[in-house]
Amino acid sequence: MPEASNYMRIVKVIIEEAVSLLVGFAVAVIILLFSGYEPLSVISILFSEGFRNTEVLMKQSIPVIATGLAFSIPALAGLFNIGGESQLYIGAFTGLVSTYIIYNATGQPVLSSVTGLVSGTLAGGFWGFIIGYLRARRSVNEVVVAIMMNWTTYYLVLYLIVSRFTDPIYSHMSVFVPASSRIPDVLGFIMIAGVAVLTYIVLRYSSLGYSIRVAGLNPKAAVYAGFNLEKIFITAMSISGAIAGLGGALFVLSVIYSIDTTMSAIYGLGFLGIGIGLLGRNNPIGVVLAGLFISGLQFGGQWVELRTGAPPYLTDVVIGIIVIALSATYTYELLVSKLRRG
Amino acid sequence: MKTIEMHGIRKIYPDGVIALHGVDFEAEEGEIHGLLGENGAGKTTLMRILYGEIRPTEGEIKVLGRRVRYRNPRDAIKQGIAMIYQHFSLVPTMTVLDNLYLALATINPRITRNEVEARAKKLIGETRLKIPLDKVVEELPAGVQQRVEILKALIRDARILILDEPTSVLTPLEAEELFQSLKKLKEKRMTIILITHKLREVKAITDRVTVLRRGIKVGTVRTSEVTEAQLARMMVARDVELVLEKPPGIQPGREVLRIEYLWVRNSEGVDVLKGVNLSVREGEIIGVAGVQGNGQTELAEAIAGLRRPYRGRIILDSKDITMLDPMSRYKLGISYVPESRRNGLIHEMNLIENSVLTSTYSYIGRYGFIDWGRAVETALKIIKEYDINPPNPYTMVKNLSGGNQQKLLVGRELVKKPRVLVVSEPTQGVDVASTEFIRRKLLELKTRGVGILLISTDLDEVIQLSDRIIVMYEGRVIGEGRTEEFTLEKLGLLMGGISA
Repeated sequence: MPEASNYMRIVKVIIEEAVSLLVGFAVAVIILLFSGYEPLSVISILFSEGFRNTEVLMKQSIPVIATGLAFSIPALAGLFNIGGESQLYIGAFTGLVSTYIIYNATGQPVLSSVTGLVSGTLAGGFWGFIIGYLRARRSVNEVVVAIMMNWTTYYLVLYLIVSRFTDPIYSHMSVFVPASSRIPDVLGFIMIAGVAVLTYIVLRYSSLGYSIRVAGLNPKAAVYAGFNLEKIFITAMSISGAIAGLGGALFVLSVIYSIDTTMSAIYGLGFLGIGIGLLGRNNPIGVVLAGLFISGLQFGGQWVELRTGAPPYLTDVVIGIIVIALSATYTYELLVSKLRRG
Repeated sequence: MKTIEMHGIRKIYPDGVIALHGVDFEAEEGEIHGLLGENGAGKTTLMRILYGEIRPTEGEIKVLGRRVRYRNPRDAIKQGIAMIYQHFSLVPTMTVLDNLYLALATINPRITRNEVEARAKKLIGETRLKIPLDKVVEELPAGVQQRVEILKALIRDARILILDEPTSVLTPLEAEELFQSLKKLKEKRMTIILITHKLREVKAITDRVTVLRRGIKVGTVRTSEVTEAQLARMMVARDVELVLEKPPGIQPGREVLRIEYLWVRNSEGVDVLKGVNLSVREGEIIGVAGVQGNGQTELAEAIAGLRRPYRGRIILDSKDITMLDPMSRYKLGISYVPESRRNGLIHEMNLIENSVLTSTYSYIGRYGFIDWGRAVETALKIIKEYDINPPNPYTMVKNLSGGNQQKLLVGRELVKKPRVLVVSEPTQGVDVASTEFIRRKLLELKTRGVGILLISTDLDEVIQLSDRIIVMYEGRVIGEGRTEEFTLEKLGLLMGGISA
């Protein structure tokens, strides 16, 4: 059973994060001062507005929790998944289109949304599988494949929306999820949080989770133990793609309902997931908390813009610094242990 | 003229391990000087001290009559010392010329590529080393890469050349060419130091030889004045401490493991096992002796399924397992203790998680979940039977001492109740108490009818524990027999590659 009595470690993590947070804020304050904005008011707006509306917060955090998990699972196996972005796109698009088609064909709201979620998950999973397969069987670097897939998928989805699935009334939007097929309230968040808990349990207690962690911590020992590294890589990538795909489908079905033709509502959420995975220290529960935290800051950032006129880039910089500061200690430890192993 | 004088060199590592107990060493201009000894005798350590890579705890070094104190190899290189390792220090994706340029530019930043090329061509002409300057290093065979290393040393004006087991990566033909080159360099009055364990090489090429044993200098002799047998005796002679009593004659049972004509290649495509045959019976310990790197690791890995043979068969309990993957073999009753704790344990996991590493299949319950309750029981059992400290199953393995880690590694494989145990260097880097403990456990396992293949470079260990001994040399079984049939001298000769 993985470490049960490690209060000391948890306390250590909390202290580290608190210190990092303070450092992050200190740097942010300096930058704000230099840019001529009132640091205290910017930061207070960021937090008070960002975390005011719990429902919005939960809904906004769905895709980044998903891509955060999609980063963390392969990271535990020793892989770097930068493809959460494309896995999210394809999940969102497939989820949207299949819900739309099934609803129009059958008129069944539950059937259509379930089909949407399942197909979004499968599509994302397949996207992840491609990366894992190429890495395991053809030794192609997973980062290169993932980056290429991100762009390919971006234009593929744009093309499909513009050419086949444009909304008849709003020409800059895709078709909409039929009103009765939409996932109500915070059910979407509960589902992704449920997936996170499930991921946590699988990673910690199942033989699959065990082999993933062994592969990440010591690949030679994994081979010695008789685990098939290729299979582990492919499985970890497929699962992570599936979760990102599910996140995309859930986001479309419960929050945005349609994808605009610049993809502005989903662009960048996969990359943000990397920061969230690091911030959550690759712990699924930590990822949920990190996802909520970052979504709150992002949402608060929009209010900062409204209230103080600070450009959105500035709040992005502030959020970026905070994320870097928070994940720096962990990344540092990660690097040190990797280097030590040589 | 003496080019190197080392006096009273002691090296004590921070963890208290004594590598050298005050060694004297001298080499002269225009000689090939052999440095002979078993694993852990201190040959390489002594030369790395000369090369400025390790600092001695005590002792004095004189090079060309001047007292020196190198801070790093760069200092040594500037004074004309070059060391060539088994693993070459060349940039594989660069051309030979670029590598030479890189080597020179580190000591003389203003040199140009044209100058390097001119000097390299001149040296190639003088030494007749066949080296293509414009080829990419990784495309060259090992023998040529080694010549590049030698040229790299010469172009830096090295007068003293140290080679660490230079023939271990070469084919016999390449080795012969290397020796011819070394003889030419000797004629040019260079000092050449050859670290080796191969007696035949020592006889063939060296003028003098210094023998080390366990960090102590046994002596320096003129090669022409000693026989191979005398050298072997100098290398291995010792008082064998028979602290353990072998359990009284249990009769070995039927054959559990048979290896037939096994051929294995390493990742570079070189044969590392060349038709190995052996047989292990129930209740029998077969000791595999030999100097490290003569195919023992590959033999163990082939039996565990971590390395595919391209010819030959492995038979467990009259079942052909040659094509099975490791986990299937573990299920059938093979246990393997690898020589490196690093590969056998996961330092960032606790004792419980490490206890099930090689037997996860027997802990999987419903829905693919591991029965961690039973895993805890196994961990506690290992802790109790193998006296692991601290006795807390939630301790991270990285927080255990080396001895306790080793007991965990061995214990994990032994409590599985295997049919056949392949155990590599079971007591390497372990304190005396744990060493004795582990050896007792191996004998105990044997009395319970397990067939054990004990691979060890520690001759004492092999002699103390084994019923039969096989000696491996360059991928072949060069000698085989009951333990009583071997004298130390005979073992030493066999380990040095000389049979009968």
